[in-house]
Amino acid sequence: MSAALDPIRLRARLAPRTLARGVIAFAAFVALNVAIAALVVSGALDGEWYDFRDLGLGVQQLREWLDEQTADQPGWLTDILRSTTWLSYLVTALLGATGILSFVGGVLLVLIWVERRLIGRIQVRRGPNRVGPFGLLQPVADAIKLIQKETLIPVGADRVMFFLPPVLVFIPGLLVWAPVPWAPHMTYVDTNVGVLYLVAIGSLATLAIFMAGWSSNNHYALLGAMRTVAMMISYEIPLALSLLTVVVLTGSAQLSAIVEWQSVHNVWIVVLLPLTLFTFFFASTAELNRTPNDIAEAESEIVAGFHTEYSGMKFGLFYAVELGNAVAVSALTAALFLGGWSMFGLQEWVPAYLLFATKVAAVYFVLVWLRGTLPRFRLDQLMAFAWKYLIPLALLNLGVVAIEAALFRRWEGEGVVVLGGFALANGLLTVVAVRGWARFLGYAPEREPLLRPTLTTGVGGLRAVDRMRTTR
Amino acid sequence: MESTGIIIGFWALAGLTVGSAALVFVVRNLLHAVLALVLSFMGMAGLFLTLSADFIAMAQVLIYAGAISVLLVFAVMLTPLASRDNGNSLFALPGLAIGGAFALLLMFLAVDVDWPELRDAALADRAFADTIEAVGRSLVDRYAFAFQVASALLLVALIGAIALVREDGAP
Amino acid sequence: MTTASDPYVLNIGPQHPSTHGVFRLRVVMDGEHLQDVDMVVGYLHRSMEKLAEERTYAQNIPFTDRTDYLAAMSNNLGYCLAAELLAGVEVPERASYLRVIFAELQRIASHSMANGTFINDAGAWQTPLMYMFREREKILDLFEMTCGARLTTNYMRIGGVAFEPPPEFYPAVDALVAELPDRIGEYTELLVDNEILLARARDVGVLSPADAINASITGPVLRASGVPWDLRKAEPYCAYDRFDFGIPVGHHGDCYDRFLVRLEEMRQSVRIIRQALDGLPSGAHKTEIPLALRPEPGEAYARVEGPRGELGFYVVSDGGPAPFRFHIRAPSLINLSLLREMAVGSSLPDAIVTLGSLDIVVGEIDR
Repeated sequence: MSAALDPIRLRARLAPRTLARGVIAFAAFVALNVAIAALVVSGALDGEWYDFRDLGLGVQQLREWLDEQTADQPGWLTDILRSTTWLSYLVTALLGATGILSFVGGVLLVLIWVERRLIGRIQVRRGPNRVGPFGLLQPVADAIKLIQKETLIPVGADRVMFFLPPVLVFIPGLLVWAPVPWAPHMTYVDTNVGVLYLVAIGSLATLAIFMAGWSSNNHYALLGAMRTVAMMISYEIPLALSLLTVVVLTGSAQLSAIVEWQSVHNVWIVVLLPLTLFTFFFASTAELNRTPNDIAEAESEIVAGFHTEYSGMKFGLFYAVELGNAVAVSALTAALFLGGWSMFGLQEWVPAYLLFATKVAAVYFVLVWLRGTLPRFRLDQLMAFAWKYLIPLALLNLGVVAIEAALFRRWEGEGVVVLGGFALANGLLTVVAVRGWARFLGYAPEREPLLRPTLTTGVGGLRAVDRMRTTR
Repeated sequence: MESTGIIIGFWALAGLTVGSAALVFVVRNLLHAVLALVLSFMGMAGLFLTLSADFIAMAQVLIYAGAISVLLVFAVMLTPLASRDNGNSLFALPGLAIGGAFALLLMFLAVDVDWPELRDAALADRAFADTIEAVGRSLVDRYAFAFQVASALLLVALIGAIALVREDGAP
Repeated sequence: MTTASDPYVLNIGPQHPSTHGVFRLRVVMDGEHLQDVDMVVGYLHRSMEKLAEERTYAQNIPFTDRTDYLAAMSNNLGYCLAAELLAGVEVPERASYLRVIFAELQRIASHSMANGTFINDAGAWQTPLMYMFREREKILDLFEMTCGARLTTNYMRIGGVAFEPPPEFYPAVDALVAELPDRIGEYTELLVDNEILLARARDVGVLSPADAINASITGPVLRASGVPWDLRKAEPYCAYDRFDFGIPVGHHGDCYDRFLVRLEEMRQSVRIIRQALDGLPSGAHKTEIPLALRPEPGEAYARVEGPRGELGFYVVSDGGPAPFRFHIRAPSLINLSLLREMAVGSSLPDAIVTLGSLDIVVGEIDR
């Protein structure tokens, strides 16, 4: 092939240099993990150095440390420090929040790059590769650019309502990370209403998005906002039902307990409840505004949806929250359905949070993959899908799983056999329900076969059309 | 229970709740009023949290701040532009009167009733340890009948609403 | 109880991701549904037709590149055919074959673009577009190696083509022709029978054969409506009567059929190119004509099957070195004329998909 034909080299090639880079990167990754594992095994990192399982423990540690420091220093300052429990609470809460904030911020900067690179590879192009090594600093450059940009306020916009939403959507985007179980005892707030908390937090962003769309004084933004609101309230139902199914099976709404359950029974919930994963994941893509359900910011229809009028870092915040929520959903999928930090005993040898992070990355990859592949549904199709398809399926699933959970409690003794039976039954149920319900709703591709265009060599007008109709 | 943090939290949340509730009838823009109402709901959820009622707090956020507010927003969006303001209303004075009377009644009750106190810390811990399980158990056990009646009522309301707005001949 | 909402006016464009250029739809909307569509064109008007009256016949060829900038070769060809008809110039056999090869390559490139942006309008996040750009890129490389330009080729001449393709052209085009069926198969796998695409495009923007003929719709849009009409068969120009190829005809007349028809036309174009390469005669690539061509007074209309439909050039000579009147029958503009009928009553996403399936080029609409 001539050089002129392929000067741009759009297709990714396994050139020796690329291959070498890949090998080096992979080796570095493996080495890092081996080093951490060695540290854990050798006992250098033993104990629960990352144990900030809930505020109480942190507060206790902080207070013990304070007592130690002030033991031989009587005085008024010591008295105040010792008498004010709430101050310790505040400090611990702020420390944990700072941890989550820095984690989310750091992860976002990396993931913007990851997503763009992956999409680039899916689309046979390279993705960002100019700023820094492998283009890793591209998100930083983007952020600097966005911060420098002027914030435009549209004429006739409701100023207060226009300024608030980027901040308001950021709050649930951070709060959602609180109950995520990274490893045993590695949870910021290990609340026993964790699942309910997630659903509640998830419903908060709706209003902020509506505010953004309404206050922009722009028809596109308003359309996007109304679409978002309509979609979010519809998809919250299958989402909550799916989460409820998991809660019913495991008997706890505490995320760490759900992971613990999977660890104890040596099974991932996805094996037991495939239908639940389907409803949860589909509803999540709708809540996340990602393809195939990105109708709220459908670029080809309503430009950018609710954030059409936002510029500079205000737009950046929306963008970051969207990505952050995608990662959060990946984390929840990994925790609730893929066993969280447990990996059939592997967690004894490898740091559990690394296992969890790997699973999160895998789910996130699926989200990016979907985004790079599928076209978009229409609003009415999406709503019909939620109400006519996902909700009945989720309800049916919930009923079946409730019976199974009751049986499971009764036959606790032979857990493996029972769980295996449930896995088989639910797998069968998934196939039958997904196909059967679609048929029931009138999906029958074989009834009207798709007529492909026919090839002819003759030409003509309306009479030729009639001729072709009769000979079809 | 009586630590400084809780007290500070209570007064802050109470201020937020009552203040934003007051905003609801002060602001002129109907949508701003809705948002102030949501803020009030959030304050209520916070108050529940200070009472260690985490399940009710989450339910408050989910149902009121998440769902009811969206319903209100939809209602506002469906009202014609002309009547979309939060101006003077005939019901301002009667509303204030009823609200004031109700507040007085609650205050009287709060002072008058001899509330059982959880002096023992261990007892308090046990009582508040797992509210979600306690709520669940009482719903299917002690209050099962009431729960069923309530759900039947909601179902009837749902079907009734659909029947009301359904146009003749619609599929 | 009725919940009435006030209709509002939405300006889609002139700057909008889905108008494919500076084109404006003034839409009256009720919620998400379109009550009225008003098309506002003219943002890209450069008065090509008037300018052409000031320049010689040869100088006008570059203008035709810039009307439909996605199908410069077809435009060159149509204009040159009209000028040749007017001046009575004979075209060598080899030139006709080369013209066919380049016009069909251009058709593949243009259909790639059309289908890619159509899928983009249906919501796929650029991926199919990028796939199709990959092939378009290779075709543009072929153009570049032959005539030095990628987009505005200015390759055809009155009496033939400007240059003989370089020696490296033939292996490259052979490789491309061998590769293209696989690539088209790739799109088919990714997109055809995709449930989401079916839900979005099937039975959307339906156009009946009678309506299409009455509105003088041409090209893939007409064929998707079921009318077997292709100028390459009906009125063969160049050497099209010597090649064996079929014209795909749709059965529903919806957006999905337009997509499938274009996909199939790409396959047929590959067939034509292969036959033309095999049978490429030797000889001159161009008839020498005087630089300042002065045709006898008269008029000529020549039409070709461009990627978007019947691309006609009407040229009137008063005996001078420049055309007295120059007019282009722009298929984009005429195909667009039924958008209102197809879109009113549907929802905004459907209207966008319908607009995307018409494959308009604003440079050609406004000229």
